[in-house]
Amino acid sequence: MKLPLIAKAFALELGFYLLLKLGMPLITSPLPSSVIFMYMTLVTISILLYVSIFEDDFGNFYIPIVDFIRGDDNESGLRKLSRIAVFILIPLFFGFRSYQSVLPNFNPPFPQRVIHPAPPGSAAGFTNPFGDDEANHEQYIEEGREVFYKNCVFCHGDKLDGKGFFAHALNVKPANFADATTISMLMESFVFWRIKTGGIGLPEESTPWDSAMPRWELILSEEERWKVIMFLYDYTGWKPRTWELEGDE
Amino acid sequence: MIIRAGNQGLGNLKVMSKLFIKNDIQSLFLLVFLFTILGGQPYLFADEEHEEVKTTAQPDSETLPNDDLAAGEMIYKKRCISCHGDEGDGDGPAADRFQPKPRSFKKAEFKYRTTPRNSLPTDDDLFRVISNGLPGTGMPDWADVLTKKQRRQVIKYIKTFSDKWEKQADRASALKIGEPVPTSEESIERGKKKFTALGCTLCHGAEGRGDGPTSLVLRNHRGDSVYPRNLNKNWLFRGGGEAKDIYTRINTGINGTPMPSFADKLNNEESWDVANYVRSLSPTPNPERGSLIKPLSIEEGIPTDPEDPLWDQAPSSWFPMMGQISFEERLFTPTVTDITVKSLYNDKEIGFKLIWDDRSSSKASKPSAKKKIYTDQVAIQFPEKLQPGGVKKPYFIMGDEKLGVNLWNWQSDGNQVFETTANGILNGEVKKSESNVKGSGRFKNGQYQVVMKRSLQTSDKEKDIQFEIGSFYPIAFFAMDGTNGEVASKRSITPWYFVLMEPETPKSVYILPPVVIIFVFGVEFVLVKLLKKNKKASSSS
Ligand code: HEC
Ligand code: HEC
Ligand code: HEC
Repeated sequence: MKLPLIAKAFALELGFYLLLKLGMPLITSPLPSSVIFMYMTLVTISILLYVSIFEDDFGNFYIPIVDFIRGDDNESGLRKLSRIAVFILIPLFFGFRSYQSVLPNFNPPFPQRVIHPAPPGSAAGFTNPFGDDEANHEQYIEEGREVFYKNCVFCHGDKLDGKGFFAHALNVKPANFADATTISMLMESFVFWRIKTGGIGLPEESTPWDSAMPRWELILSEEERWKVIMFLYDYTGWKPRTWELEGDE
Repeated sequence: MIIRAGNQGLGNLKVMSKLFIKNDIQSLFLLVFLFTILGGQPYLFADEEHEEVKTTAQPDSETLPNDDLAAGEMIYKKRCISCHGDEGDGDGPAADRFQPKPRSFKKAEFKYRTTPRNSLPTDDDLFRVISNGLPGTGMPDWADVLTKKQRRQVIKYIKTFSDKWEKQADRASALKIGEPVPTSEESIERGKKKFTALGCTLCHGAEGRGDGPTSLVLRNHRGDSVYPRNLNKNWLFRGGGEAKDIYTRINTGINGTPMPSFADKLNNEESWDVANYVRSLSPTPNPERGSLIKPLSIEEGIPTDPEDPLWDQAPSSWFPMMGQISFEERLFTPTVTDITVKSLYNDKEIGFKLIWDDRSSSKASKPSAKKKIYTDQVAIQFPEKLQPGGVKKPYFIMGDEKLGVNLWNWQSDGNQVFETTANGILNGEVKKSESNVKGSGRFKNGQYQVVMKRSLQTSDKEKDIQFEIGSFYPIAFFAMDGTNGEVASKRSITPWYFVLMEPETPKSVYILPPVVIIFVFGVEFVLVKLLKKNKKASSSS
């Protein structure tokens, strides 16, 4: 049996919704609802465009609906009942939406945080003084490990996943170095700048007042800061982003 | 009414649109209708909780040797060595910054076992600890980065640090848990009696907050001080917070610490009674982190007595706390793990009641004392001023050079309230000469209850936040346990949260929705009428 066009359209619509809502989280992180809304609008428009261009089908598409809305004198009881239900539910739905929109909004002002802002000019041009010293590489990483476990582990966690012992108390969560969105996509000099000046050194679009990330230039020496960076990359297996790599892409 | 398809080229577009307009206003309705329903649905199902960053800790993928012991050694050296040390003696670089310190595998004193006190754990016990971690300590859970096999391999390796494992080859077997006694008022009542009779209160305190008379002098086998657990927070129990776990603990004790085993003093039923009682001390479900404090509006004056029953009506918000480790001097081992906040307001004043646990109420020691003890303290932090737009704030740890904060402080020594301002923790606090904040505190059975209140508006518009109904005010909290050496920058902290005195719901909320409903219904009515007319017309023609 051939499915009625309207059922197909509905199935398509639902299929896309489920794909975005449930399927995407399996591949990447869950999509924000505003993005889903955007995609669904596109899907809806495309479906309507498709059926309206193939005129023949367009009739098949809306006639069942029109029939349903209009009703018939000798229609079955069930059909009548569902029609009444739909007629009652739609106004209620709009009523509810308008209630939601006029209800005073008690969501505190949480600004969107820019996680990786453009660093100030003073942040450029840091280079790792130990970078080329292959002979002592292991030694530096060992020393960096010590710095990490004495200073960073409480927030960034033993597994460098941002789930340290104290992390649950914070609003802006510590960075997860194991994830592909932090140090793996940053240049060493950027990471160095972040560690040097900490949360308080961020520009305003990154809400510096909410970040617990310490300003390590007050506590650690420059050498310790470079060593801990070497440890972060060694432990997670990431490589810092470099100019050469960018050129390749 | 079916529109016949001609060729589908653009030439037909004109005809098409004509037909479309002439016959089928319905389809227009239809489009709009479909669009709103389908397009609007994500809003209906939108999840409001903010989307957490996905954490993908990478499992160990590097090729490990086939030999279990060699593999275990490699895992240990990558994952465990920084805390448990090269030699397994619990003296890694970070050891001093954890309380309790990482376990020494050399001494082989394992705490969370199913085996009798003073015996070695089973492999399954170790497996459980390594997989789940020990809540409230530095010991993390490893289930997401180490496979089951890898966890078994590392267990094999940590056993090489002590010869006890060989010597006690015929080790004790796991505890058998008898027929459960489901929790009930009677069981809890019996358990409570036993709790006192067995002397649990000597260490754990009358209400179980870990504040018994011996609580500050207990030491573990290394000579470090060890606090009896606060039994009112079962989410911080290392060996699990449910009655079954508590049953196991009291029948096996905690090796290397004063926590005894009661196996020879309790039968199965009594063990369950005590376990049910201990479980009942913690809230079910466990508290969740608040974000917005909504004070309750009252007619009466705000009581300064924290035990006034009016406070019971105010809703509670719960906030976890962490040690201040962003500026020297840092506090790595805080004792205050969380704080509960209630708030009331009337047309003149706003008041806050703060509740937190502390093992002792301390007075500042004399300057000559050998071990320094400070007064216990708590503080509520506000920005000195709201910034335009309400987004920008002073730095959450006591402000910064540009934007200052105002602190309402209470200290146990002398039950005093005082106000300070600060522009960065390193610049210290400045006591305000004139303070409008009033309050008082009580200490009972290991818990502080403190009230502080102030008039909504004050004359010092520069340094005091001015409260108005309907605005969001950033708010943060600090706590200091003087017995734990906490003073000045060594304090437990929270990030910024918000407080909002809710305005009354505007009338329009009750007017607009009915209007919309009636309107939409009207549209439906017209639509049906139109369609019916249309049909009649087409069938008669
Ligand atoms: C008190 C908690 C805390 C401690 C301790 C801490 N951090 Fe952070 N860190 C954070 C938070 C929160 C963030 C995320 C907010 C931000 O970007 O400022 C962060 C972010 C970072 C970032 C930026 C990552 C990115 O993707 O932009 C780096 C790099 C970093 N931390 C390194 C370190 C190092 C190295 C140490 C130890 C020397 C350390 N942190 C100690 C809390 C902490
Ligand atoms: C950040 C520090 C840290 C790291 C890394 C760490 N541990 Fe621990 N571990 C601790 C602390 C702290 C304790 C003691 C907790 C207590 O006494 O309550 C502990 C206790 C233990 C115990 C004793 C459990 C008991 O019942 O007494 C075992 C076993 C253990 N860890 C295994 C491991 C293994 C295996 C690894 C590596 C895969 C590891 N730990 C990594 C901090 C750490
Ligand atoms: C001599 C003092 C002492 C007595 C008596 C004592 N405890 Fe404890 N208890 C402790 C200490 C100390 C700890 C914490 C050990 C640690 O953190 O390593 C503890 C921990 C606990 C824990 C936490 C277990 C976990 O998984 O974290 C429970 C539950 C507990 N005790 C229950 C009891 C009960 C019930 C009794 C009486 C039947 C009792 N204790 C008697 C000292 C004592």
